Amino acid sequence: MIPENLRYTAEHEWVATSGTPVRVGITDFAQDALGDIVYVQLPEPGTEVAAGDSFGEVESTKSVSEIYAPVSGTVLARNEALVDSPDLINTDPYGEGWLVEMQPADPAAIDALLDADGYGKLTES
Amino acid sequence: MSDVTSAAHAPLLRSPLHERHAALGAKFAPFGGWEMPIEYAGGGVLKEHTAVREAVGVFDVSHLGKARITGAGAAAYVNACLTNDLDRIKPGKAQYTLCCDDSTGGVIDDIIAYLHSDEHVFLIPNAANTTEVVRRLAAAAPEGLTITNEHADHAVLAVQGPRSAELLAALGLPTDHEYMSFEPGTLNGVELTVCRTGYTGEHGYELVCPADRAVEVWDALFGTPVEARACGLAARDTLRTEMGYPLHGQDLSPEISPVEARAGWAVGWKKPAFWGKEVLSEEKANGPVRVLWGLVATDRGIPRPHMSVYVGEDIVGEVTSGTFSPTRKVGIALALIDTAAELTEQDQVEIDVRGRRSTFVVTKPPFVTPSVR
Repeated sequence: MIPENLRYTAEHEWVATSGTPVRVGITDFAQDALGDIVYVQLPEPGTEVAAGDSFGEVESTKSVSEIYAPVSGTVLARNEALVDSPDLINTDPYGEGWLVEMQPADPAAIDALLDADGYGKLTES
Repeated sequence: MSDVTSAAHAPLLRSPLHERHAALGAKFAPFGGWEMPIEYAGGGVLKEHTAVREAVGVFDVSHLGKARITGAGAAAYVNACLTNDLDRIKPGKAQYTLCCDDSTGGVIDDIIAYLHSDEHVFLIPNAANTTEVVRRLAAAAPEGLTITNEHADHAVLAVQGPRSAELLAALGLPTDHEYMSFEPGTLNGVELTVCRTGYTGEHGYELVCPADRAVEVWDALFGTPVEARACGLAARDTLRTEMGYPLHGQDLSPEISPVEARAGWAVGWKKPAFWGKEVLSEEKANGPVRVLWGLVATDRGIPRPHMSVYVGEDIVGEVTSGTFSPTRKVGIALALIDTAAELTEQDQVEIDVRGRRSTFVVTKPPFVTPSVR
């Protein structure tokens, strides 16, 4: 199930469409492809990022994936719970397993990302 | 290199249990020319790994090679080719051994040899190397010996973990034989061989059965009151890495000698002959230029194969296997390190983990205490 209330990138990040700052995470498809996640590297709060920048890593027992900023803006917070429980990304990728909160430079940039339908088509095998 | 290209494009072989894996929601990946389950839905590497350390897991390892050498002098012939000394074991026992290149001493494959009698030896090589091992053994064989590649004729199911004996006993299979021995068994009319072998460091068994009866054996293993978890090859890799068991193609290869890989214990140095004896004896006498060490992270870094190992700004070696240890919850690695660096246990080195330095402590594997017996 791909939540309707989020926007998505082709690199399998999700962004919340409501709230300021906005939460960012990786999709259920991404966590499933990675397998059991054992380590997460996230940017320091205050980091300014441009859309498409690599700003972190999610590492599973078998591989590592870079995380890309879905939109330009400033990282305001990171999910500190992931330090001890990186598996939250596997068990609740759209909820407790969020990665960072961002202040987007241009909130309209979020609307330009994929919606649930568009992302669903991308990940259909 | 045309043969290499064609091999890459050859269709992947499938285990006789493929449909069972698909029904369990397995993720598949190519492994040694076979399409094998890596992990299962509802499982995952960590759960599957933990099941083997704490209860019992069942792996389909039917991709492993199978070859048989029969005829007068079969055991003597194998003993003159492969490194370990078959005379050290009695019929009914198995032995870890190596097939080395005679001129370079590099490891063509690591193999379990099952000694049935002086006239009958069964081999389990790695999937990707079986054809080459059989080719080398056949090319040098004297008249009267038969060397048969039985790769797809048999399935192999590894039943591993502290409750493995309980599971097999519930099915009426023999369980009390000692580590590295094998016994015949019968399961619902299927004749199989119950080997006290494995690649996990736990008490365990490997069942070799006819490929066309594998489904019956698989189903029986999941039909007892002892709850077993299906485990994929990803967990098998984390389990074996915790034991420091080498994986051919990473920690052993035609470019890595047994002396470098600390596999000298699997070489019968005093035997009159084995492939590579001359060059390997010389290397042993002179000391290898690099040697395999274990490395344990002191921080959150997770090492991966081919990452460089540093002392200060000098590269002193390369990671051959690296992963997150689910048991110790820390990054662990096997790495080939230059002996010129003169490292010893408890020394610290650094690994370049994608541009960041992580600090590791040098150690001798295993990383987790084995319980194979």
